[in-house]
Amino acid sequence: MSSRILVIDERMAASGELQRVLTPQGHLVESVCAIGEALENLGLKKYDLIILDVGRSREEDIEFIRSLKTASPETPVILMAHSPSPEQYNRAMELKIDYYIPGYSPAHVLFRTIDRALRKDSDQKHTEADSQGEFSPEMLRKLDSVMARYRNKPGSLIPVLQAAQEIVGYLPPVILKRIAKGMRVSESEVHGVVSFYSYFTMKPRGRHNIRVCLGTACYVKSAEEVVRHLSEGLNVEVGGMTTDKKFSLETVRCLGACGLAPVVVIDKETHGPVNPVKAVDLLKDYV
Amino acid sequence: MKRLTLDSFRTLAESLKGEQRADRGYRASIMLCGGTGCIAGRSPKIRDAFREELRNKWLDKEIRIVLTGCNGFCANGPVLIIQPEDSFYQKVTVADVPAIVEEHFVKRSPVTRLMYKDPASKEQIPLAQDIPFFNRQVLRVLRNKGLIDPENIEDYVAHDGYMAAAKALSEMTSGEIVDEMKRSGLRGRGGAGFPTGLKWEEAAGVSADLKYILCNGDEGDPGAFMDRSVMEGDPHVVLEGMIIGAKAIGSRKGYIYVRAEYPLAVKHLRLAIAHANEYGLLGKDILGTGFDFDIEIYQGAGAFVCGESTALMTSIEGKRGMPRTRPPQSVHKGLFGKPSVLNNVETFANVPLIIRHGADWFKSVGTEKSTGTKVFALSGAVNNIGLIEVPMGTPLREIIFDIGGGIPKGRKFKAVQLGGPSGGCIPEQLLDTPVTFEDIVKTGAIMGSGGMVVMDDLNCMVSVAKFFLEFTADESCGKCTPCRIGTTVLYELVKDITEGRGKEGDLELIEDLSKDIIASSLCGLGQSAPNPVLTTIRYFRDEFEAHIRQKWCPAGVCRELSTFYIAEETCTGCGACARVCAKKAITGEKKKPHSISQELCIQCRSCYQACRFNSVKIGPRSMREDLAVKCVLEETSAAVTAGEE
Repeated sequence: MSSRILVIDERMAASGELQRVLTPQGHLVESVCAIGEALENLGLKKYDLIILDVGRSREEDIEFIRSLKTASPETPVILMAHSPSPEQYNRAMELKIDYYIPGYSPAHVLFRTIDRALRKDSDQKHTEADSQGEFSPEMLRKLDSVMARYRNKPGSLIPVLQAAQEIVGYLPPVILKRIAKGMRVSESEVHGVVSFYSYFTMKPRGRHNIRVCLGTACYVKSAEEVVRHLSEGLNVEVGGMTTDKKFSLETVRCLGACGLAPVVVIDKETHGPVNPVKAVDLLKDYV
Repeated sequence: MKRLTLDSFRTLAESLKGEQRADRGYRASIMLCGGTGCIAGRSPKIRDAFREELRNKWLDKEIRIVLTGCNGFCANGPVLIIQPEDSFYQKVTVADVPAIVEEHFVKRSPVTRLMYKDPASKEQIPLAQDIPFFNRQVLRVLRNKGLIDPENIEDYVAHDGYMAAAKALSEMTSGEIVDEMKRSGLRGRGGAGFPTGLKWEEAAGVSADLKYILCNGDEGDPGAFMDRSVMEGDPHVVLEGMIIGAKAIGSRKGYIYVRAEYPLAVKHLRLAIAHANEYGLLGKDILGTGFDFDIEIYQGAGAFVCGESTALMTSIEGKRGMPRTRPPQSVHKGLFGKPSVLNNVETFANVPLIIRHGADWFKSVGTEKSTGTKVFALSGAVNNIGLIEVPMGTPLREIIFDIGGGIPKGRKFKAVQLGGPSGGCIPEQLLDTPVTFEDIVKTGAIMGSGGMVVMDDLNCMVSVAKFFLEFTADESCGKCTPCRIGTTVLYELVKDITEGRGKEGDLELIEDLSKDIIASSLCGLGQSAPNPVLTTIRYFRDEFEAHIRQKWCPAGVCRELSTFYIAEETCTGCGACARVCAKKAITGEKKKPHSISQELCIQCRSCYQACRFNSVKIGPRSMREDLAVKCVLEETSAAVTAGEE
């Protein structure tokens, strides 16, 4: 599918060039040379991408970006600047510019950035569409009320994340963003905590979650073989989910049920002692 | 319930004790184990079945059924003890419930088939107190195990609960508590063994507007479940220990950090805190003594490093749980920058005993430098898997062979792993080592929190070393390069050895790198991470060398380094191996030597364990080709003979 790209350049020369190189790539390129014209076009049509080509750093450029972002907040913007000042760069970033490349970048850099910008856009739409179905308003309301309860308490990010995982089932980026916003911390801090602790998962789990204990007592009783058999039998990697979303397979450190080693926990039911063949048989009850 | 004062509390305790102690007015109590192992054995369903059966027989007013904390005898679960007479039944199922009610309670004759049988004499032992697993233990921390309902505060009070807290709050000064603790010689049960009294003294001496007392229930060692059992089965003892600690250091706020994997512990602690608040044993003006103290539960999120004190505090602050440099020590600057004392669950469980009975009584058990008792989670290749408590100084041999009942199926003892990923493997020649902090360290292992995993000759020690290194490499928080990269490199070196890529000089390289990791890591995780591999190399060097030189795993665990074959000379052709083979890889006529098809064999070791004549052998990988060639030759010669006929 061809993408509609709007190129804004006051020196026209370069945009002619851009139009020449981008059209063979299958894009529909329109060029304008004034910001006013661009805003007019944006009012009439929908574009997939805007490329803003600016020359020397000027105060107006920032204003351009601001008005572009207001006129069409969802369209990604690539800023090409020929002699950028650090200040311009920082302010562009503050305005949530999507991509930034130097004006004389080689063609492949330009293509890659355009590809990425277009893909990101469609990805985002995709996840948003997903989230519509997957996260009910009920879930989000619950999550918001948990956050409201904890917001002013020091050290409450972890309990909030635990609650969020309980409510949603896992912690996808959309939810992490919401938590960062709600708890007034940076997204990177939230991600840092989520990725540090093994309790948190960013991947969805199957309808039945299989956890194989790999504690010492289970290990010395061949729990590794159990994992191998389950992984082969279900055709799924540890940490993954079967294609039919029925089962997900995980390993855990120690469940403290060493008397039953080796132990497999399916959902909340503990089974043990199991052997590799028996472990696969167990799954029949869950189909 | 009105909040109690000292006087009303003592009156309540007296009246509760007046009722036949454990039985609270009932003729008998069925104390059914509700530990993790027994719950997996469906003990909640058994409880429901008992309830219904007792109601049907009109006995529910006379006999109560209680789901207790872990009884300890996990190997034979689900287990139950009938109080007050102490009758013990094991491996109980829902189907056994009507028989127990009918025979034990109505006809008053015990159900012999559910009794414990002595493995040697095959005699039935009806009472728990006569079973060696129980009667060789000294129960202090676990004194209430199987005796109380963890969800009922009055059960705990009836067993002298909160008496020590009442004494500490009303009769003792902070200094007196600290002195008693110091004299008792109690050392931290989390593993490192730092004297608790000294820690409290230091914290008591710091002046601050707010101090914290923290309980470490982040039992991260795989193979350890002592703290879990205490928190699940006797939650009030932890609260009582913390109240006394709070009075000693002058703290008004406590946290219990519990692993997220322990939902039942969290539930019981929550309930215990709510009840204690209701009874005036927590909160404002405890027992009318003017002392305020609150406890909050903090659930961890699964990170082994959070067992380290500074990492645990960072985690409570809601951040990535990474340790920080010391000094300042946590007793000066800990949680939220305030002076904080962190003790382990088992340490706190010892405190009420010391306050109630005195330091001298406490010291009467154990050795001079390691006083009191220690709880161990005994698991692995041992008959009586479970939770045990013994005096410090008990030799390992006694724990494994007398209490643990030795190695199952007549196999041979190989090693015992103590201290989890920070500990080491102790071989047979050191089995007479007494369990004290000092003696265990001499072997290269550490006392640790109490996980004790027994290994028999089916275990490959190189593989065990690999297991622990994988664990520490994965759990290293990443702050110190020597630990983050070093443990990964160690893991890869050992993994290479188990997969046939080991070479001369690897062992020396491992030892060398280990020294650097120990010397240059910030926290205990890195400083002790090489212990498991170092001790296995120290005691089982020949096994490592067999892996490296002959490409042979003598235990048959490392798949790339083993070949299973049947020794024709000793094979009787009984067919036991062929019957257990899931892949039908073993063939042979009856009473004639069998053979294993190398193509079909998946090296599951079932035949090796099934053979009673020791005829299934494990050879190096190189044998596989030889055997395959031999097989082809035999087939051709058979074909030739057939052709001739």
